[in-house]
Amino acid sequence: MTSSQENDLIQSVDDLHFYLKQAMMIEHATIPPYMTALYSIKPGSNIEAFQIIRSVAVEEMLHLVLAANVYNAVGGDIRNTLSSDEFIPKYPTTLPTGETDFKVGLGKFSPETIDTFLSIERSKEVDEGQPIVGPRPSQNNLLAVRDANPQYSFYSIGLFYAEIIRGLYALYQEMGDDLFCGDPQRQITPEYYYDGAGDIIKVTDLTSAIRALTMIQEQGEGSVIGTIYDAERLLSHYYRFDQLKRGQYYIVDQDNPSNSDQPNQPTGDTFAVDWDAVYPIKENPKLSDYSGEPELHSAAQEFQSAYSDFLAKIEYAFDGHPETLLPAVGGMFKLKYQAERLIKNPIPGRDGMNAAPIYRLD
Amino acid sequence: MNIQVWFRWLYAALWRIFSGGQPIMNLAQSEMKEYFLDFSVALTGFSKFNLLGTGQADLYYSTIEQNIGNELLQELLQTFHNLDLKAKSANDQSILDKGISFDILDSKKFGAIACNIIKLWYVATWYPIPQTGQDSNSQKPFIVSPQAYPEGLLWSAIGVNPPAAKAPGYGTWSEKPSVTLS
Repeated sequence: MTSSQENDLIQSVDDLHFYLKQAMMIEHATIPPYMTALYSIKPGSNIEAFQIIRSVAVEEMLHLVLAANVYNAVGGDIRNTLSSDEFIPKYPTTLPTGETDFKVGLGKFSPETIDTFLSIERSKEVDEGQPIVGPRPSQNNLLAVRDANPQYSFYSIGLFYAEIIRGLYALYQEMGDDLFCGDPQRQITPEYYYDGAGDIIKVTDLTSAIRALTMIQEQGEGSVIGTIYDAERLLSHYYRFDQLKRGQYYIVDQDNPSNSDQPNQPTGDTFAVDWDAVYPIKENPKLSDYSGEPELHSAAQEFQSAYSDFLAKIEYAFDGHPETLLPAVGGMFKLKYQAERLIKNPIPGRDGMNAAPIYRLD
Repeated sequence: MNIQVWFRWLYAALWRIFSGGQPIMNLAQSEMKEYFLDFSVALTGFSKFNLLGTGQADLYYSTIEQNIGNELLQELLQTFHNLDLKAKSANDQSILDKGISFDILDSKKFGAIACNIIKLWYVATWYPIPQTGQDSNSQKPFIVSPQAYPEGLLWSAIGVNPPAAKAPGYGTWSEKPSVTLS
């Protein structure tokens, strides 16, 4: 990739900032659906499914931090990003990739929910030089593709990042190291992040920026189309979810990844998935679903407000206060217990339907 | 029929005769569970939302039922429910408070069971009750399930996470505990 091409959508630093903000929105948009499905699993049941979904959700958090690191590295102003009204989508929603053939909602752990998760993590390859966005008619897409036809959308999250990577190369070609004008002190580095989800990458130059974005792409979809693992030789998100549909683990050969299982042909241990050991929660709940039930109503409101507060704290950490990230993430555990209390409570008069957390007010 | 079962049967029959014809054996289980939750709210000081939020109500109900028998449990819950109805119709909460104190907690028959229910909610542990006829020496206290222990009300009452469970996140051990009773 030598210079900005006509097909590329990112032609300026402003474009790059815009796309990286969208990237943070995409990463975040997956977290409430994953968390909702995760907490709908009855404690003590579906241990394998719980671990699989949890492992993906934790990596989405890492992706959010990585995208913020790239954004800070190229001089982006993070204020009013995570704390803006539009950062939390209204579920069910299309992803900010612009694709409209599936919607992401908040629902219980079920085969249909896993199908949606597979769509989120799906992959496709586009040759260098070819346009990444496809001319698909799209409606209500959150992403108004900057300075381009708003009818265009990205088939996968991976292709969305491929566009950003192209943009980075092109802008670097023009600007050199000036592109990375961000203060390195603003980076979230390993000492500020307790991770069990791959490495946090400090972004200060082109190489580290590409590494960070590539890690996001690969953890989702795998390192090469047609394989099941990423560059860290871990199973990609798509195939982690695929295991739940099959009730069988894939095997990744850590020493020789090319000997790993083929897509759609897992050979690992089998496990049972109990789709019934799940709380029957209200899909895409709204506050009005709890009207007339003061305790549910105020618990849902408290959760929503705590969630917004959590995002505001994360934004503050990204805005030059990296030392505040760990305490903020600690707050996420409190959110979990608040969410679980809602999920375990039936909504009176709704025939056994349980409540669920609300991430955004109507 | 062993002697204990026979006594229980006799007791239930006599209760029916002398309770003014009020039936105690025909409560639907859903009704019983509703009374149980209301009773638990009164005993623990935690709201129904918080009790259901532990996810343990059904398990606790069946634990009590298995250990004291369905009839005694029904009788206890009916006694509570009658007090509750009286208090509501007179719009006087003190009727319920006093009733729970005198008719249930101070009662020879119900007192130990009510205390056990409080302990069950707070520490997820069932303790043997000698009066149920079971040999208390042969039964030891037990935690009713692995999932119940971290849901004990004790932990939120004192504002800490249950030791070794419900981890509050890396580094949060340097923060002060927050006490909430709601």
